[in-house]
Amino acid sequence: METLTKEEVLHVARLARVAITEEEIQKYAITLKKLMDDIHQIQDVACNTDEILVTPVSHTTVLRDDSDTRVVDFSEIQTNLPSSVGKFVEVQVSVDE
Amino acid sequence: MSKYLNLSLLEIHDLLVKGDISPIDLVEEAFENIERNSSLNAFITLDKENAFKRAEELSKKKVSDSLLFGLPIAIKDNICTKNLRTTCASRMLDNFVPVYDAEVIKKIEEAGMIIIGKTNMDEFAMGSTSRTSYYGAPKNPWDLTRIAGGSSGGSAAVIASRIVPFALGSDTGGSIRQPSSYTGIVGMKPTYGRISRYGLVAFASSLDQIGPMTRNVYDNAILLNHLVGYDKKDLTSSNREAEDFTRLIGSDIRGMKIAVPNYFESDVVSSEILEKFEQIKQLLQKAGAIVENIDIAHLEQAVLLYQIIAMGEASSNLARFDGVRYGLSVKGAATADELYEKTRAIGFGDEVKRRIMVGSYILSGENAKTYYTKALKIRAEMKESFNQAFSNYDLIIGPTTTTVAYRLDEDETDPSKTFMDDVLVIPVNMAGLPGINIPMGFNEEKLPIGLHIIGNSFEEAKIYQLASFLEKELHLNLEVGD
Repeated sequence: METLTKEEVLHVARLARVAITEEEIQKYAITLKKLMDDIHQIQDVACNTDEILVTPVSHTTVLRDDSDTRVVDFSEIQTNLPSSVGKFVEVQVSVDE
Repeated sequence: MSKYLNLSLLEIHDLLVKGDISPIDLVEEAFENIERNSSLNAFITLDKENAFKRAEELSKKKVSDSLLFGLPIAIKDNICTKNLRTTCASRMLDNFVPVYDAEVIKKIEEAGMIIIGKTNMDEFAMGSTSRTSYYGAPKNPWDLTRIAGGSSGGSAAVIASRIVPFALGSDTGGSIRQPSSYTGIVGMKPTYGRISRYGLVAFASSLDQIGPMTRNVYDNAILLNHLVGYDKKDLTSSNREAEDFTRLIGSDIRGMKIAVPNYFESDVVSSEILEKFEQIKQLLQKAGAIVENIDIAHLEQAVLLYQIIAMGEASSNLARFDGVRYGLSVKGAATADELYEKTRAIGFGDEVKRRIMVGSYILSGENAKTYYTKALKIRAEMKESFNQAFSNYDLIIGPTTTTVAYRLDEDETDPSKTFMDDVLVIPVNMAGLPGINIPMGFNEEKLPIGLHIIGNSFEEAKIYQLASFLEKELHLNLEVGD
């Protein structure tokens, strides 16, 4: 059975920001290979247009007004925060000292 | 035993107007039905206390003209409901309580409906069986050993078992129509842009669409009447004026031109379904419709397109689940990267992780051009082919699924299998078209078989015209156990 290498699995896991175990590496080496073999087939599909269809809407899409609108209070947002200090969202250290 | 909820909408409304019943009676009956059908595992969260509170409030009001007034509805658990847990069937959002309502929730509440709970589904709507749910798979009311389909499997089971007459689903690659087919109900994916996606937890934004799931065609059109409309919070929502989707129901179909793509009758479809579909074609011709075979470009590549476009968009959309702002967050991570990676490792199930890994790969570096851009070109060609078809035909029909609902314990090791379940319904999402499933019969094991009717953009009323004609002609008994 064809599989991805351990390095290839770890590469796509890093891209997706997902930690995986040794056991999962073996499992994903098989299933990711199968899916990637599927998607490689697109290179063989004949296509005669250079147009792309990103979204099926035909109308002109307009963003909301660029204005300051208060939708919800911080206290409401806070109810779902894993960690907060006062009116601040607490996050992990992301830069080495 | 059903008291009122199995009556027609007009009958229920009449009883409410006369004061013979109140919304409280309807909610009581809904929760009795839920209790009796608990083995279906159709719900993730029930909202009994608030449902009765709202029913009491509505009972004190004058019954409005809305046929939906006082009626209970179930909501797929990827649609945000303020102060009511919304999990997307994922451990990642097991504790997530939205602070706002989706636009569709506001609309159904304006219509006087009562939310009774949130329905089970595939995790983040990724799957075709609802087996990827963190809360276990819902079961098919026609045979409890079989899948209810997915990803809106819980909503489909709720309607098929007649717990309530209405449910909302979402459809990214067939997730309303396919489970509707497996469970013998009516499920509509409207034109992309018809209904605001504000508050629908995004999976693949260029494909996602909310839609109504009901026991019959008329109910479906009535609910759609109340869901549509421009919403400035969704830039893809259409500003078309409101219309009555029931207006063509009951109209003659003589002279209607109907196309059948050759691929929809190919050997990917089981013989028992093709036989039933042949009977439908004959019935339509007998009624004076013109039924002809055509070719639509790239239908055979629909799954391939879906794998690339949906997984690519999913990897981007699900990047927001990082353990910082809401949802699961692992403790003790030393760095931000470690927090992200460990939270996502624990919070997401296998299918979701697999899809975002492949999606991230597809969108990385040169791969974006090789895979994603190529897929978008093929998608444009498919859409143009549909446009040409609709310049000559009113509607397109075919079977909704290639098989009937299969067993819950069927092998899940092939990661491509789940995509193939949706091969006949994905093209509609690619082209942004409206499509409906209606039951067209049963196989020998009394499992439902669905018919797929596809319309041109914003021509849902024409779909309902044909659907209602067939519903009346076929006159199927769709009550489980009868």
